[in-house]
Amino acid sequence: MNWTAILEFARGPFFYAALLIFVAGMIYRLVTVIGLGWSKDRVPAKGSKAGGVVMSFLKGILVWPFIPWVKNTFKRNPLIYIGGGLFHLGLFVVVFLGTAHMLVFKSLLGFGWGTLPLPIVDWLAAAGIVGMLILLINRIIHPVLRLISGPAEYLAWLFVFLPMITGYALTHHLGPRYEVMYSLHMISVNVLLIWIPLSRISHFIFYFFSRAIHGQEFGKRGVRV
Amino acid sequence: MTATKQALNAFVHETGGWVASQLEACTRCGMCAEACHFYQATGNPEYAPVWKVELLRRAYEQRFTIFGAIKTALGIDKRITDEDLQHWSDLNYYACTVCNKCSMVCPMGIDLGSLLHGMRAGLAAAGMVPADLMTAVNKQIEEGSPLGMTDSVWDQRLEWVADEWEVEIPRDVQGADTLVVFSSIEVMKFPTNIAAIAKILNAAGEKWTVSSKAREVVNFGFYQGSEENTKLFLSRVLEGAKELGVKRIVVTECGHAYDALRWHAANWLPEANDFEIIHITGVLGELVGSGRIRLKPGAFDGDGTITFHDACKIQRKGGHIQEPRDILKVLAPESFKEMTPNREQSVCCGGGGGVIAVKAADPVRYAAFELKIDQVNKVGAKTVVMTCSNCRLQFTDSVDHFKLDWKVIGLAQMVADALVE
Amino acid sequence: MPEETIAEGLKKSGVSRRDFLKLSGLLAAAMGLTNVPPVSASGLPPRLGRGYSVNRVIAKALETRPRLPVIWLEFQDCAGCSEAITRSNSPTLVNLVLNTLTIEYHETLSAAAGFQVEQAKQDAMQRYAGQYILVVEGSIPVADDGVYCTVGGRTALDLLQEAAAGAAAIIATGNCASFGGLPKAKPNPTDAKGVWELITDKPVVNIPGCPAIPEATTGTIAHFAIFGTLPELDGLHRPMPFYGVTVHDRCLRRPFYEAGKFALSFDDEGAKKGYCLYKLGCKGPTTYNACASIRWDTGLSFPVQSGHPCLGCSQPDFWDGGGFYQGQSAPLDRPELAAIGAAAAAGAALGVGATLVNQAKKKAKGGE
Repeated sequence: MNWTAILEFARGPFFYAALLIFVAGMIYRLVTVIGLGWSKDRVPAKGSKAGGVVMSFLKGILVWPFIPWVKNTFKRNPLIYIGGGLFHLGLFVVVFLGTAHMLVFKSLLGFGWGTLPLPIVDWLAAAGIVGMLILLINRIIHPVLRLISGPAEYLAWLFVFLPMITGYALTHHLGPRYEVMYSLHMISVNVLLIWIPLSRISHFIFYFFSRAIHGQEFGKRGVRV
Repeated sequence: MTATKQALNAFVHETGGWVASQLEACTRCGMCAEACHFYQATGNPEYAPVWKVELLRRAYEQRFTIFGAIKTALGIDKRITDEDLQHWSDLNYYACTVCNKCSMVCPMGIDLGSLLHGMRAGLAAAGMVPADLMTAVNKQIEEGSPLGMTDSVWDQRLEWVADEWEVEIPRDVQGADTLVVFSSIEVMKFPTNIAAIAKILNAAGEKWTVSSKAREVVNFGFYQGSEENTKLFLSRVLEGAKELGVKRIVVTECGHAYDALRWHAANWLPEANDFEIIHITGVLGELVGSGRIRLKPGAFDGDGTITFHDACKIQRKGGHIQEPRDILKVLAPESFKEMTPNREQSVCCGGGGGVIAVKAADPVRYAAFELKIDQVNKVGAKTVVMTCSNCRLQFTDSVDHFKLDWKVIGLAQMVADALVE
Repeated sequence: MPEETIAEGLKKSGVSRRDFLKLSGLLAAAMGLTNVPPVSASGLPPRLGRGYSVNRVIAKALETRPRLPVIWLEFQDCAGCSEAITRSNSPTLVNLVLNTLTIEYHETLSAAAGFQVEQAKQDAMQRYAGQYILVVEGSIPVADDGVYCTVGGRTALDLLQEAAAGAAAIIATGNCASFGGLPKAKPNPTDAKGVWELITDKPVVNIPGCPAIPEATTGTIAHFAIFGTLPELDGLHRPMPFYGVTVHDRCLRRPFYEAGKFALSFDDEGAKKGYCLYKLGCKGPTTYNACASIRWDTGLSFPVQSGHPCLGCSQPDFWDGGGFYQGQSAPLDRPELAAIGAAAAAGAALGVGATLVNQAKKKAKGGE
């Protein structure tokens, strides 16, 4: 067993399997959650539910991450805000606007898109890694986070962190040889893909539920989201 | 059945896709703690909203998800015990006003208020409700009011109010347009509110009435979290309204009662949709805005700074945010100043959600109020206006406790005082 | 013949002293030598290791070492590696390998044919038993008792084992002999194998590539001829001097990669400006070979320089390593829509099953 063979396995059958498990797992999660039943809301609305939902997403995706003073919690705990913000920004840019990852989507979907220059992606990846470290430190020192964190939270952190750090090392040709790092990167990505449906990392799907509910509840009452 | 089992049944019953999807969305970032006035005031990590709903999460994961079941079997996730229920009962009834501020800061937008209410449903089913709160609930079941406002007390108080402030209060008028339902807090502790509202409605020429059947809008079943009791108390109001054939029900200055009647009743009792349900603040805004009543501009200027306290159930969860401000700009254009944060971002008074009814919660309640003291002192206000009697109760009690020299006043009373005949 | 030294042989074929010293330097460079390997291994006086430049050590060695007999076998191959050797850019190296070293047997290049040449091979193997270098070109099929490749009625496996028994070292040149190459590509009907999978009791050096870079083959032979040892090998038995770094590491388009400037098609503006070919499927980052440093045709160019992405032809199983024009990062298999659909359906079915259980629990109101 040499690293070329391991890489081929990690890029080939293992990735394939992980992808299928990811798809099956996420559908399973969605179906079970939706399957628990939804009762109809018969309460007449004061404001616009749809408007609230739109605002909720606008604020949740476009405004919230970029304007610290929108919510006064920034002052109370800037660590979560900065760490979480940097991490997500770095993650999205690297995953969707990094050339290497775009090519993955291109090969899976059949179409590609423009990407950002490597140095920009690179700095954001580094920022994402720093963000993750901040989040971890914060989780360890903050009394509330210590209270609500169990093995699942730390494992989820680890499984997200590994692909990021190996990917960073890979592009910089750091550490062991390229195909070793590449194999480690692919293995950690595959583990992450499998772990997502089993953990709270799946919040990126349920985010759309909770934000829609938020917008609907506030919109219904005629309150600014 | 053990308490745990009863709680679990209730949790399972509460958990539909609506609750489940939000529990799943939680990333356990702990941001909600920073919004909670009880956490901010005490620094106790257990007061983090996400931790307050911990049992609901456990029940959901352990009952409905494979992974949760495995985690429980491995001992990573703990089973719910009677001791847990007792502990979380303390957390939820002592240190939560269900003000939903946490929902405003949650990056995922999770409607924590409703999850916290779900927690109460389970605790109520298990009988894990603080004794003083339970006494009030039982009193409301038996006497029609948690503050002992029985038929005879009701009669006496209304007659006294009508005499004392020389105001006409139409009672049990068939075919009236509007039924006004007061809270017993107003009737028993802030009777000026009754006189004020009567004065305003009479001045506006409104065809209104009160009902001796639907005389109590307070709903301690809602505080308790018991669906059964909440429905019982709601149905008393709705039946009273139906008997008199009114078109709309006006809830006076009571927060949670408005929440229950306006935003939840129709889902339990469809007949609630036969009426337009509105808060007195909305009515005031409408009357002033349409010119049906006229106010003396600047009537409250010149007596120190006036500020407005946004109530969680009437402003943040009720949407009556603009009306009080429009009215205050007429009444005190110069001395009205906003606190920060305000409007839907307002800091809760700390007395709602039944907390003020629980004696053992006094220390945290006063601690939470200190945040409000800071806020008010920052604008340098001497008068605090609000639209919720529960907040007002917390304010007057705390003003006493902290020996403050503020004037605490209801908006309706201010409007009544400034009426131009 | 092999009794004369390499230098004598070169002299005989008209190489001047000046050219000879030049050759020594060239060899040193070709082998990537910057310091002298253990001199004792070459049988030279140990003092030579001190004070002499690498070039001089090599020159000295060439003057004293006996010529090296080479037997060159071809199996499932295209003779491309042999052809590359004959077109090798440095004539002195060609001289070295083809004229000066004694190639006792080479199926494509031998003048003789038939039983005569087979006999010559047998003779050489006997005469130089334990001394000769065996070069193998092409993969060895082992399916169905090896019937898919026979020479003179004997199977490739048989011939290989026979020749390997008396070899001092074996050099597998080209991807086929190293890792199976094209014959091994899926579905590999002949069950083709590389030499090192079959011969485990002799040192085997892999010089993969399609074809192998001639300098890498001849440089390795020269190393053995001069020092009597094989160069340092990596995990895949490749000589480190030629396979120590990736094509990407030494690529002349590397600055464009770092700057994020990529050609998106073969005829766009980026391609004309010489931008990085990563997005066009270049396998440079995972390909270990000396293309970017030695280059081809007298150091004239190499594929990436000429505008074509690296195929990764020196890597094991490069034929099955995804499309040549598919990004390096892209997964090897593109999941079938049907497979994704099946996974989704399986997830949905499990979800519906769990939902039924959950609903039953809700109806029973407790769940336990």
